[in-house]
Amino acid sequence: MAPLLEINNLQTHIQLRQGVVRAVDGVSIHVEPGETLGVVGESGCGKTMTALSIMGLLPTGGSIVGGSIKMSGREISALDAGDMRKIRGDEIGMIFQDPLTSLNPTMTVGKQIAEAVLLHREVTHAQAMDRAVEVLDLVGLPQARERVGEYPHQFSGGMRQRVMIAMALACEPKLLIADEPTTALDVTIQKQILELIDDLRQRLGMSVILVTHDLGVIAGRADRVVVMYAGKIAETTDTGSLFSNPRHPYSEALFHALPEKAAENRERLYSIPGIPPDLTNPPAGCRFAPRCRYVTDRCREEQPPLAGEEPGHLFACFHPVGEAEHGRTGTVSAHMPEQAPGPAPSQADGAGEVLLSVENLVKNFPVTKGVVLQRRVGWVSAVADISFSIRRGATLGLVGESGCGKTTIGRLVVGLDKPTSGSINFAGKDLAKSSGRQYRRERQDIQLMFQDAYASLDPRMRAGTVLREPLAVQRIGSRSEQQRRVGELLDQVGLPRSAAERYPHEFSGGQRQRLGFARALILSPQLIVADEPVSALDVSIQAQILNLMRDLQRELGLTYLFISHDLAVVRYLSSHIGVMYLGKLVEVGLADEVYLRPAHPYTRGLIDSAPVPDPETELAKVKAGIVGELPSAINPPSGCRFRTRCPLAEEICAEVEPPLRSFPGTGHLAACHFPLQSPMQTETITAAEVAGP
Amino acid sequence: MIGYLIRRILQAILVTFFVSVITLLLVHLFPGGPIRALLGPRANATEVAYYNHLYGYNKPIYVQYIKYVGQLLHGNLGYSVKLNQTVTSEIASDLPKTVVLVFLGTAVSLIFGIPLGVYQAVKRYTVTDYVLTGVSFLGYATPTFFFALLLVEWFAVDTHLFPAFAPQGTTIGAVLSDPQALVLPVIAYAFLLYALWSRYMRSSVMDNLVQDYVRTARAKGASERRVLWVHVFRNSLISIVTLLGLSLPTLVAGAIFIEVVFNYPGMGLAFFQAAQNVDLQTLLGFTLLGTAATIIGNLLADVGYAVLDPRVRYS
Amino acid sequence: MAMITPPADVPPEALQGPDAGGVLTATEAAKLGVEPTQKPRGMLRRSWEVFAENKLALASLGIVLFMVLFTFVGPLIYHTNQVNTNLATYLCKPSAKHLLGCNEVGYDELGRLMVGGQTSLEVGVAAAVVAVMIGTLYGAISGFIGGAVDSLMMRIVDAGLAIPYIMVIIILSVIYHPNPAIMILIIAAFYWLGVARLVRGETLTLRTREYVQAVKVVGGSGLRAVIRHVVPNAIGTIIVQATFAVADSILILSGLGFLGLGITAPATDWGSMLSGGLTYLQGGNYWWLIYPPGIAIILTCIAFNFIGDALRDAFETRLQRR
Repeated sequence: MAPLLEINNLQTHIQLRQGVVRAVDGVSIHVEPGETLGVVGESGCGKTMTALSIMGLLPTGGSIVGGSIKMSGREISALDAGDMRKIRGDEIGMIFQDPLTSLNPTMTVGKQIAEAVLLHREVTHAQAMDRAVEVLDLVGLPQARERVGEYPHQFSGGMRQRVMIAMALACEPKLLIADEPTTALDVTIQKQILELIDDLRQRLGMSVILVTHDLGVIAGRADRVVVMYAGKIAETTDTGSLFSNPRHPYSEALFHALPEKAAENRERLYSIPGIPPDLTNPPAGCRFAPRCRYVTDRCREEQPPLAGEEPGHLFACFHPVGEAEHGRTGTVSAHMPEQAPGPAPSQADGAGEVLLSVENLVKNFPVTKGVVLQRRVGWVSAVADISFSIRRGATLGLVGESGCGKTTIGRLVVGLDKPTSGSINFAGKDLAKSSGRQYRRERQDIQLMFQDAYASLDPRMRAGTVLREPLAVQRIGSRSEQQRRVGELLDQVGLPRSAAERYPHEFSGGQRQRLGFARALILSPQLIVADEPVSALDVSIQAQILNLMRDLQRELGLTYLFISHDLAVVRYLSSHIGVMYLGKLVEVGLADEVYLRPAHPYTRGLIDSAPVPDPETELAKVKAGIVGELPSAINPPSGCRFRTRCPLAEEICAEVEPPLRSFPGTGHLAACHFPLQSPMQTETITAAEVAGP
Repeated sequence: MIGYLIRRILQAILVTFFVSVITLLLVHLFPGGPIRALLGPRANATEVAYYNHLYGYNKPIYVQYIKYVGQLLHGNLGYSVKLNQTVTSEIASDLPKTVVLVFLGTAVSLIFGIPLGVYQAVKRYTVTDYVLTGVSFLGYATPTFFFALLLVEWFAVDTHLFPAFAPQGTTIGAVLSDPQALVLPVIAYAFLLYALWSRYMRSSVMDNLVQDYVRTARAKGASERRVLWVHVFRNSLISIVTLLGLSLPTLVAGAIFIEVVFNYPGMGLAFFQAAQNVDLQTLLGFTLLGTAATIIGNLLADVGYAVLDPRVRYS
Repeated sequence: MAMITPPADVPPEALQGPDAGGVLTATEAAKLGVEPTQKPRGMLRRSWEVFAENKLALASLGIVLFMVLFTFVGPLIYHTNQVNTNLATYLCKPSAKHLLGCNEVGYDELGRLMVGGQTSLEVGVAAAVVAVMIGTLYGAISGFIGGAVDSLMMRIVDAGLAIPYIMVIIILSVIYHPNPAIMILIIAAFYWLGVARLVRGETLTLRTREYVQAVKVVGGSGLRAVIRHVVPNAIGTIIVQATFAVADSILILSGLGFLGLGITAPATDWGSMLSGGLTYLQGGNYWWLIYPPGIAIILTCIAFNFIGDALRDAFETRLQRR
């Protein structure tokens, strides 16, 4: 059968002020009817530009300078604007990353979908609206007929993405391009959306190009995969072979950088050194050569062609993985992931003192109306009666969907917000009771690592000044002593000392996060609260930061409160995991016990929703996950807050709030009336303790 | 939306309260007090004391304030001794003519400013855009009265295409019956406003053109024209409605200068003459009216904003 | 928009090593995850670079410089009598002796343009500075305190802005018969309102920025956050606003002058000069009474507007990162 889409040697350039970016450089892809092709790569690798080239929607300055794009045998890369419009939305539909900004805020969703129909079909307005209702129904929007007249801001994030899909599918295109369709969504919603796309692909018999940075997303959904690096294809094959037998060193390195793979035995992550090349002036040879562990002189001079021994499995490398015996001069030792020397020492000794203990913590944010009078009309229950304690040297990872209150806990602990009630004890002292100078001194011991390092660095300050500021605030040392300390810290986080002279915008994303880490460390704190420190980073950079955090924890005896939405990252870094749902701590315990033997149905659902970069696991767990979306925290459900989405819920769940109960394992607690394991005892536990095993 | 509007109205009432305090204070700013302003420097102390008693200016300030607000609530804006008539009756005769000028001028400026602003955004960074940008900057930087003078010089004095003076009738009918004489005042009035709208529209459309939803519309197969007029234009217009409400003080300022240059018998000219005669009552009365108009204008803009933007309408 | 990671400028040789002596090789740098860049450039430096790229802005800077020299140094070279009226030179045409002719009371027009320009520029700049200072202080306090105080302070600003400014300014001029110093206060008395609202908004946004919160985390006081982080980051907006304020103040002053409510004779400003010239407009072709002051106002204001616009671009970090 002829391919539906055939791209040959595509070259797309983007004209910028400082030069021409060769965003896509000789890419050849084909998509068969009915299949899902995954395109995977880190940011800036050209995957989105390839997708936009197909659609003819390149940004200003972008143009296709070479190659061909054929849709059903017809060349479309050179079509004039009018003919291209007939293809967009009719033969090819596209959905984007952020469903909120991608919908017109002042037009009803019905009209926006009907527009697509009206543009391509000879129908009346009423017929188009009927079709809109039909497709909204198709994508699983409840009460579609009632809701067509609503505006995008009236929908939740997941529903908005459903609307986007409905719009793209209104004319039943033969090809759907989904560009990072779930990156802005929670894992539970991500799973629903990915399943929906898969389901619709089968029902409508269309092909899908799934563009993503997430190997887990690819694993369960794509038939074939294209791995892109720096504007070129590094490797392409069927999904199974890629995961079982990657040939390109870049593909291999990506797998080794994934925390999922390393979580079980806690080996050190392989981190790809450096950053992707500048595409205005790419290296002459293989683009991955500067970061490759098997690099030879030939790689630096010559571009490897995309070829392979078996049909269907192509890679662009002179020294493919699996041929280690010949032709490799790279350090083989680097190939083997280093074994981390057991769990962090403090995790093992178990009897460390309790460093942080949080008791009955409650935080309500007022919901106000009125500018002048500021009437209070309700409360957002962000944190609802949470107790836990962390022993010195342990890491508590807090996971949950956005809006579950994990970030609020972090802010309460570092003192950015004041608790409504409850106490936070640090090293035996109640933080809420100290004030003035004493409070300021105690602040030293608890530091925060922000998610967005760039936003947390004053753009007008040199890195050195940023790092010195905490010392200046605390009046520690003379100026020269402070500067010496800054130098030490830069060494520790792996930045050159000259970095002190530079401004935040002159660093890459990973370097900025190192800088943010250095600032958190400079006061020699005992506890670091890390709020999503790696979620804005690419996998390879993420591995660098995670390794650094682990190394320094061991070296400095740090205790972490690690907040993330990413279960794999949390599992990799944490000794303990706490699962939060709508302001409640629903389960807590040793990382592996919670992950491998969850007691709470929500934890189970969360684990099932998170995509795993392993096709077999992914394909096996069809139809698991969590239904529905997070309810509002303004009027949270009575009893168990999870009951509205819980498959096991019964009447008692609405009436009685389940207490925390102990489960087999060390300090394994969960709050559920119908747990997935039988609890050890019936007495109620008031506080979870996070300590060593 | 009702809640939103009630909130805005409450705010407006609070603002009105502050404004009434400010205007009363303005009266007392005059060296020697308001009566000295009325009677001039030659009046003796007895006369000043007599009139202060008569008008109640010797009472405590809060008593004066209550009386003043009471008067305002009865629509009494004061009595102009200089013109020997109530300020209200001055307004009744002058306001309609000014409204004609303001309305025509604003309409003309919008008719040109909005489409040209959109056009500039579409043709951004081309020669046409640069030329029109230059015109806009000229509009900002040229004093209204100077532009008006140039129009008179070029089109009335030099070429006799249009009359140099605005229509002199006392009624609206008379003013409108001489449309030729309205051309120059309206153009002069519209110039600065044109610069304002076109500049704002240009940046608003440009901001919207790079939004994600525009890419979505293109991905549906919508034409550039459709993207522009169906999607971008409406979203851009929302912000200009707010601007329209906030620009009322500028509209008032323009009216004063244009009416003076063209001797147009509206409130602006009357205000200018009151300034020359130190007719404090007229000045304050007109200022209060201008302020009321601004507050109402802002409220209307809020309503318009709420109607156009569903994010406000449904919250 | 499409995700394009901004490619880094990469001259590898520029990267200096840990100690002054050693230079890191590109590979070593890459191992560290260090992307080599040019030598560090501060915010102001980068802003200047963006500004200097704008030829129109540079020309505008030239115009402003010229106007300052013309009005303040000019009279030292071109001596004229701007105090005593002289009927002998009543409305004389431009000639070698009077390069731009004379006005209706016999003052040399070119000399008057210089003297009037002094007033216009002085009042314009001073009013802008006073207004921006008051507005910044008020707005920053309002935004920083927040809550009910902020609400009240902002309603007062709303009230001030609801009164058509030209009317208040005319009334104040009627009351005070202004000299330049009073004129500055009168213009500033209205202009600070807009600035206050703007700065307050800026303060509110900056307060929530993570780098301001970071100060709190290390135990810094609110005052430190404001002085070290909020103010330096708001300064761009404030400078831009001050530039526009100069242009606006000159325009307002000229309007008052035109209405005969400006600076009292024999002192003058560009607007007042036009008011004199207007009378003779319809009587005959006395172009030299109209065009020179008018063009001077327009040129100066347009220059300040262009500079303000270019500064806004220059301070916009979004553009700098391109």
